[in-house]
Amino acid sequence: MALTDRPIIEIKNVTKRFGSLTALDDVSLSVHRGETVAIIGPSGSGKSTLLRSINNLEQISSGEIVIDGQTLAATPHDRAEYVSEKEIRQICGEIGMIFQHFNLFPHMTCLRNITYAPIKVKKQPRAQAEAEARRLLELVGLSDKADAYPSQLSGGQKQRVAIARGLAMNPAVMLFDEPTSALDPEITGEVLAVMKRLAEAQMTMLVVTHEMGFAREVADRVIFMADGRIMEQGDPQQIFENPQSERLQNFLRSIIRS
Amino acid sequence: METFDYVARILPALLEGTKITLVVFFATLLLAIPLGLPLALGSDCRWRPLRWFCRGYVALFRGTPLMLQLFFIYYMLPIYFNILLPELTAAVITFVLNYAAYLSEIYRGGIGSIERGQYEAATCLGLTSFQTMFGVIIPQTVKRVLPAVTNETITLVKDTALVSAIGVADLMKNSRSAVNRDGSTMAFLVAAIIYLLLNVVLTKFSYYLEERFSRHEAKETRLERRTLWH
Repeated sequence: MALTDRPIIEIKNVTKRFGSLTALDDVSLSVHRGETVAIIGPSGSGKSTLLRSINNLEQISSGEIVIDGQTLAATPHDRAEYVSEKEIRQICGEIGMIFQHFNLFPHMTCLRNITYAPIKVKKQPRAQAEAEARRLLELVGLSDKADAYPSQLSGGQKQRVAIARGLAMNPAVMLFDEPTSALDPEITGEVLAVMKRLAEAQMTMLVVTHEMGFAREVADRVIFMADGRIMEQGDPQQIFENPQSERLQNFLRSIIRS
Repeated sequence: METFDYVARILPALLEGTKITLVVFFATLLLAIPLGLPLALGSDCRWRPLRWFCRGYVALFRGTPLMLQLFFIYYMLPIYFNILLPELTAAVITFVLNYAAYLSEIYRGGIGSIERGQYEAATCLGLTSFQTMFGVIIPQTVKRVLPAVTNETITLVKDTALVSAIGVADLMKNSRSAVNRDGSTMAFLVAAIIYLLLNVVLTKFSYYLEERFSRHEAKETRLERRTLWH
């Protein structure tokens, strides 16, 4: 198989238990470079846990996670074993994450939020990091907010700065954990527009979302999860217009009704 | 006029004492404020021996009277360990050890109050735990712990009066000398005013610091918070 065909994210038989609760139940999933994958499903279905397992914010109980050919966790015996902390940091450095609640650093200006990690982690010269940060701020439409603090921004602006911050580390994959769920409905559009532009620029994206419009319009593939399992997946048209499982049919009905 | 003359006469000795009080105060603050941080981090360290040591230390210094600690270091170290310290040194050492314990608990609470999302964002950006702690978490903690630290420093100003118990010639001791010598309680009144003034200045300064460390908040929010009551 050619190198470029290798999936950038490989998840094999991943199970995650919180005590007696099974959050992920034997989940397998591959994501290829340039793909935009939307993960939908009712709350408590394991969508966020799956996303957070990929960049080690949650540790899996068993299974295997491989990022761009590098093993993050594997299960040679009965429990998942992780690589060293240093390797974890290096592997997860390939992955950017966008949170529901933005998690910008409140004591830093937008510019510093974006340049902090490139300067500290990648040892970029400050001038280079700042030039790149300004370019990214322009990309998300906030070039005038470089010197503003997060508290001076609206939710949608904060999330766009968070996206710029994630992109500054030049990740191979971006994970979005319900990026618009904390926003007022009328401003989710500005964040989704930025994400759509990223998808068009062939950024590999994994998006946990309740925005069915986004999933339908932007995603290359939609994954439906319930009870910690992937119940169904396929291209948006198939998922939304021809759902196979009863769970998905019910889920879609409940969404439309609300 | 007689009162005025009397106050003018005792004032130099009281101001001399104030100098010593300030020495104890600033030396304690300067050393205890940084020392509290490793104690705070150690108290939540995953490595058990360090955690137990730090927590035991805090329990010991918070759980016994400051005056007893002062006596222990000044009177008992020479007896049991043959270490004789000058009064002022013994006083400062005791105060530093004691206040570091209190401050560490304040820091610990402050660090614990920072949302988990901040750690997660920092981790996802590839920052080490050291970079996360000192670049992301602690700078945010400063503002949150400032009111509690101010409280401690105000207590410290008054606690310094305890050093007179081992013969340090501070404001407390010098005013008591004047009272005993002259049979007038006026010196106590003057001392009270001086302590009060020190704390007024201190409080003003801490408000200034709070303001400074809130720079990143929108101005409207800051004003709002300062005057929640109408």
